[in-house]
Amino acid sequence: MGQSPTPVFLPGYPLSKKEEKGVFSSLGDSLSSLKLTIALLIILAVASIFGTVIPQNASPEEYLRFYKFSTYKILKILGFLDMYHAGWFVFLLALLSLNLVVCSWRRLRVTRKFFSLPGERLEDEQWQALPLRGKFLQQGLAADILPRFQEVLSRLFTRPKLVEDSKQAYLLFAEKEKPSRIGVYCIHLSVLVILAGALIGSFLGFRGNVNIEEGQAADQVILRNGQQVRFPGFSVQLEKFSVSFYSTGAPKEFKSILTITEKGRKILTEPILVNHPLTYKGITFYQSSYGVAGVAEAILAVKDRQSGKEVAVAAQMGSRTEIQGSSSFFLLDRFLPDLQGMGPALQVIFSEPNRPQQKFWVFQNHPGLADRRAGRYRLTIKKIEPRYYSGLQVTKDPGVGVVWAGCLIMMAGFYMTFFMSHRRIWVRLTEKEGGTLVAIAGSSHRDRTGFEEEFKKIDQALREARRAQEENKERGGQP
Amino acid sequence: MISTKMFSSVTFLYLACTVLYFNFLAFRSERLGKIATGLSWITLLIHTAAILWRWVESYQLGMGHAPLSNMYESLVFFSWCIALLYLLWERKMKSRIIGSFAMPFAFLFIAYASLAPGVSDRIDPLIPALQSNWLHAHVITCFLSYASFALSCAVSVMYLIKNKKKEQGGKETGWISLFPPLDSLDALVYKTIAVGFPLLTIGIVTGAAWANYAWGSYWSWDPKETWSLITWFVYALFLHARLAREWRGKRTALLSVIGFAAVVFTYFGVNYVLAGLHSYA
Repeated sequence: MGQSPTPVFLPGYPLSKKEEKGVFSSLGDSLSSLKLTIALLIILAVASIFGTVIPQNASPEEYLRFYKFSTYKILKILGFLDMYHAGWFVFLLALLSLNLVVCSWRRLRVTRKFFSLPGERLEDEQWQALPLRGKFLQQGLAADILPRFQEVLSRLFTRPKLVEDSKQAYLLFAEKEKPSRIGVYCIHLSVLVILAGALIGSFLGFRGNVNIEEGQAADQVILRNGQQVRFPGFSVQLEKFSVSFYSTGAPKEFKSILTITEKGRKILTEPILVNHPLTYKGITFYQSSYGVAGVAEAILAVKDRQSGKEVAVAAQMGSRTEIQGSSSFFLLDRFLPDLQGMGPALQVIFSEPNRPQQKFWVFQNHPGLADRRAGRYRLTIKKIEPRYYSGLQVTKDPGVGVVWAGCLIMMAGFYMTFFMSHRRIWVRLTEKEGGTLVAIAGSSHRDRTGFEEEFKKIDQALREARRAQEENKERGGQP
Repeated sequence: MISTKMFSSVTFLYLACTVLYFNFLAFRSERLGKIATGLSWITLLIHTAAILWRWVESYQLGMGHAPLSNMYESLVFFSWCIALLYLLWERKMKSRIIGSFAMPFAFLFIAYASLAPGVSDRIDPLIPALQSNWLHAHVITCFLSYASFALSCAVSVMYLIKNKKKEQGGKETGWISLFPPLDSLDALVYKTIAVGFPLLTIGIVTGAAWANYAWGSYWSWDPKETWSLITWFVYALFLHARLAREWRGKRTALLSVIGFAAVVFTYFGVNYVLAGLHSYA
C-alpha cells in the first residue's frame, strides 16, 4: 500500500497528438482546399449581403428609381438583380459542394481506420503517446483482478472487451460514443442532400399563380416565366372565398373552399387557409391573395320620386331587374371596386317608358351623385355582396422531402459532433513478481477536460477495487 | 397592462443585477456575488411570471396566443433566454465571473423593448401568416441560439480584454486578474457556439418548414432568411477555423464577435433597413 506510483497525467498536452497528427498529415494536401472552404464561406456571406441590399427581381422601373441607368445595366449584366440564381452564385455553391466532397473524402480515409482498425491493441510507442495514462502495482493474480476491473469499467464507463488473454497478461479495451467520429461527415453529407433537394425542386418542380373567381374552376397554372402547366387530369374549383377582420382592422382569416374534380367526378372539397395548404397529386395550393372580381348580388334602394316610396331590390349583374308596379327596368352593366378613388361603383342601364335609355354610374359611398339624373326613380346602393376571386399559389416541388431528409441528417450530425465524444480506455494487466502491474490509458476525441475528470474517476475506482479486495483478504475471507 | 409594468420593473432589476455583478468583480466580494446571483434568479422568476401573465392577458383580450409574436415580445423573450442560459451556466460552472458581461445583454435587450419608441408593447391579434404552431418552435429555437451567441460574444469580449492586457505585457491587476484563464475563456467561446449553432440551424429549418406551409416555399432568399444564412456562414467559418485549422484565441474570439454582430443585424437590421416578408420581428 502506498508504494504504487501516482498516475501520470500530462498537463497541457496538445490534443491527442498522435491521432490528430494522422488526420493532419493526410489533410496536408487538402489544406489548400480547407482554405478554399473558408474563402468560399466568406465570399458567399459577402455576396449574400449584396443580395439583401440590392432588391431582387424587381421591375426595371423600380431599379431606375434607385440607380442610374448605367449602374442598373452593370448590375443586370453581373447578375446582381437575380443574384441567387445567377450563374456565378450557383457556381460558388457547386464549388462549395465539390470542396466539401473532396475534403470529406480525404478525411474519411483516416476516420475509416477507427472502424476498420479499432485500435484495440497498442504498440508501446502508441501507448506512450496517449494523453492520459496511469500505472500502479496491484497485489494478487491478474486473473483475480480482471473481473473486478471489468465490473468497474462496466459501471463507470462501458462494458470492456477482453482483447488479449494470455495467462499472465490481459488487455481490456472499452470505447464509447464512437459515432462522434462520423458526425462531421453527416453534416457535410446533409448539406449536399439539401442542395440536391433544391436542385430537384428547381428542375422537376414549378411555381405559379392562378386567380379563380368564386364558382369558377381552373385546370392549369401560369408560371412566373409565362409557361402554362396543366394539372394532371384534374381541375380546381373555388366554391367560396371569405375574409374576416379583427376589430383593429387587421386581417384575421383568408379562406378558400376548393373542390377538386377529376373526370367530372368530385374528389374532395376542402378549405385552405394561410398556413393550411391543400396538396393533391403532388401539387400544392396555397392561399396567397384575393380580390373582388365582381358582384354576386347588389341590393339597391329604388325610390319613387312621385310617391316618395322606397323599395329595396336585389339585382344580379347583367340580368334585367323589373321595378314592381311599373314597366321600368334596369340592368347592372359594370362594376368597379374603385372608380377613380370614389370607391365601389355600379354602372346601371335604366329604362323607363317614354324616355331614352340612360346609362350612369351609382356610387356606393356617394349616394347623392346619382340623383342629378332626371326620371321617376332614384337609385342608391344599399349593399354590394362582392364576388371574390382567390389568388392561389400553385407549387410542385418533389425536392422538399429530400431537403427535410437533409435537415434531419444535419441534426443527427450536430448531435454526434457537438454532444458526443469518442472516448477510449485501455487497461493492461501484467503479472509480475509480487503482484500485477496495471497500466491504464485513455484518449478522447473531444472535450478533453471532461474526459480527464472521467478518467481520473475510473483510475481511482480501479485502485479502490484493489483495496476492497485487499480488505476482503485482510478480514480473512477467501474470495 | 400589468405584464408591461412587470417588464418595466424587470428591466430595472436587470440593471441592478448588472451593477451587482460589476461590483462583485470590482470588490472581489463573494457576498456581493451571492447577492447578484440571488437577485438574478428572482428577476428571472418575475420575468417568467410576466411572460406567462402576458399570455393570460392575451386570452383575456380574446386572442390567446403565446407572447412571441412581435418585436416587443421577441425582445422580452430574447432577454429571458440570455438570463436563463447565463444562470444555468453559472450554476453548472460554479463561477459567476462572466455575469458582469452577460447580464448587460439581458438588460439592454429588455430595456430596448421598454424604451424604444418604435416598439409597441400592445398585444395584437395574430395575422393569418403567424397562425401556426411552427411559430413556437421557430421563435424559441432562434432566440435560444441568439442567446448562446450573446454569451459567446460576452466571453469573447472578456478574452479580448484580458488578451490585450497580456499583449501589452502589463501585469494583470484589479478585476482583469479575476477573469478566468485565457484557455478557459477560449474553450467557453467555443462551447457556447457549439450549443448556439445547432439551435440556429433548427431555427432556420423550422422557419423553412413554416415558410413552406405559409408561403409555399421553404426558401425565398428573403432578407431575413438570407441574413440568418450569413450568420450561419460566419459561425460555420468559426467552427471550421477552430476544429479543422486549429485557430484559437484572438482570431476565434473576433469571429465570435463578428458572428454576434451578424445576429444583431439579422434581428434588428433586417427589420429597420431592409424590407421583406418577415416584418413582424
